[in-house]
Amino acid sequence: MVTLSPYEPMISKVVEVITETPTIKTFVIEPPEPFVFRAGQFAQVTVPGEGEAPFTPSSDPAEPERLEFTVIRTGRMTERLHAVKPGDRLGVRGPFGQGYPIQEMAGKHVLIVGGGCGLAPLRSLILALLRQMDRIAGMHIRYGARESRECLYQRAYDQWGAIPKVDVACTIDVAEEGWRGHVGVVTTLLDKLPAPKDEVVAVSCGPEIMLKFVTQTLLERGLDPDQIILSMNRRMSCGIGKCGRCNIGPYYLCCDGPDIHYAKIKDFAHVF
Amino acid sequence: MYTVRVADLSSLLSIDGAPGFLPPLKTTGARSSASNPESDLNAALRFPRGPCSFKSSLFPPKEVVARYPRPAEQEPDEVAPSGSSPSRLVNVRACELRAMTYLDRVFGHEPVGDPFYQKRRQAHVVISVDCAEPHPTCFCTLVDGKPYAEEGFDVNLTPIEGAYVVEAGSPAGEALLETRRQILREATEADVAARRAVREQAIERLRAINAAHADAAPFGPMNGDFDAHAGVTRFGATCVECGACTQICPTCHCFYLVDHQTDKDRFHRLRAWDSCMWKGYSQMAGGERMKPNPRSQFRTRFANRFQHKYVWSPQQWDMLGCVGCGRCVEACPGRIDIREVLGEVSAWSR
Repeated sequence: MVTLSPYEPMISKVVEVITETPTIKTFVIEPPEPFVFRAGQFAQVTVPGEGEAPFTPSSDPAEPERLEFTVIRTGRMTERLHAVKPGDRLGVRGPFGQGYPIQEMAGKHVLIVGGGCGLAPLRSLILALLRQMDRIAGMHIRYGARESRECLYQRAYDQWGAIPKVDVACTIDVAEEGWRGHVGVVTTLLDKLPAPKDEVVAVSCGPEIMLKFVTQTLLERGLDPDQIILSMNRRMSCGIGKCGRCNIGPYYLCCDGPDIHYAKIKDFAHVF
Repeated sequence: MYTVRVADLSSLLSIDGAPGFLPPLKTTGARSSASNPESDLNAALRFPRGPCSFKSSLFPPKEVVARYPRPAEQEPDEVAPSGSSPSRLVNVRACELRAMTYLDRVFGHEPVGDPFYQKRRQAHVVISVDCAEPHPTCFCTLVDGKPYAEEGFDVNLTPIEGAYVVEAGSPAGEALLETRRQILREATEADVAARRAVREQAIERLRAINAAHADAAPFGPMNGDFDAHAGVTRFGATCVECGACTQICPTCHCFYLVDHQTDKDRFHRLRAWDSCMWKGYSQMAGGERMKPNPRSQFRTRFANRFQHKYVWSPQQWDMLGCVGCGRCVEACPGRIDIREVLGEVSAWSR
């Protein structure tokens, strides 16, 4: 058997670029071979010559031949990524990490709490769960964005909300003219749990400051730390537990995460 | 067990005339005598450990780990890193063997091992040498180590008067010695006794070197958040964030992948050593609200070096991430001595 470099990206064609919001775009790519992943597992995405950054696919894991990455423009690498056009090439490497523990969601009400571009990896989970709604008790999506034009995947909310056992609530941070929805940070959508606490599994992704307050709120509502799964971010490079810096305590998020039970990390310093 | 005369050292250690890799030696006191390579080699093996370990020969500071895009129709390349043709690592000390065990665990960690490290590792016969003379910053005995190796080598040498005691530690080592039978002599009881005396004397010297740390030692796995402890972070006052401690460390292995354009539409991916002493170590993209740097404070990075080695490594790899070689103490322009830092934390963190 040929030993390959685990650091070589699989060069893939960009087939579509969707402008989601003024700062967020979705890149649809077709890798030369199916990129088989579980929801929540991430990839290192290469902009040729520029380098890599870790992103979790936002697309349905059941469609590994057509991957989507939803990316907010926030630094040097994502600036370059946002300049990518259909027909250009990107690299992908992975999948890495554990992915969401979907088996733990069987029979449960899955409370999905997203903030900003944090809805991207959660969309992959949502799409995966939509294929197995008979296995879960319900799916409750709570999403917050800074302003209405930054609400990600707006086109999907009504569609998801119309599915039995699924409900969607969206909020924006500050009131706007013409906005008839909820106003306030995402934790204001968590006044009560969607089901008795023993029947809930919560999954959250967003900026760390949001994760901190979501976690605090969910604990106040009675959830245990092992019922809260957080998508944590640290600087990742290798993806395979070698390069050393994506740790929270002894856990390397690239291997043990990036989605990790709050119970595992709560006692370490600088989690949030 | 055998002995070899000093005069036959280079024939014992050479492969087809090439001596294999010999870590550079501290120049102070080491007189080069071009006319007498045998005595140079002999001096090198009897000296305290050198300032650099084997690390860069198995895990170079910079190397190309991928080229992309792969031309159409071309089959994937077998990974064949430079430095992976059969060779020897000579003059490896017991602390470095421990470091190799550590790196074997890191780079061999499933599900994906690092073939660049692994192929080099497999290609090298490891010839270790007892430390007859410890370096003034050595403290292997404070971290449950010894100045001589009992396992993990292919061939081990112990310097005794006018000769070396030679021991094979693996089938590869036995095979090597088999080809050198004409220069080897069966060790006598006196040789074995001489080896024991060299080893005991080295431990005695280490005890004297580390007398000031005897109360706080031994240093084993620890607990706690070091950066919350003023006693630890005060040692950071003289740190200039040069990263010498991590570069010289035989177990530190942080790296970052960096891409370069080499030609029109052709790119290289380089792997380069990184250091938690450097400011950008944990920096991610994102604005203030995103909290893009979980180690934005110097003290958290400073604490990370000790905490990774003494708190997390035992949990991750079932061994300390420090082998007590003292190279970081020697390298530090701020005179930060890990033994003093550990002495400070060991009391409260156990």
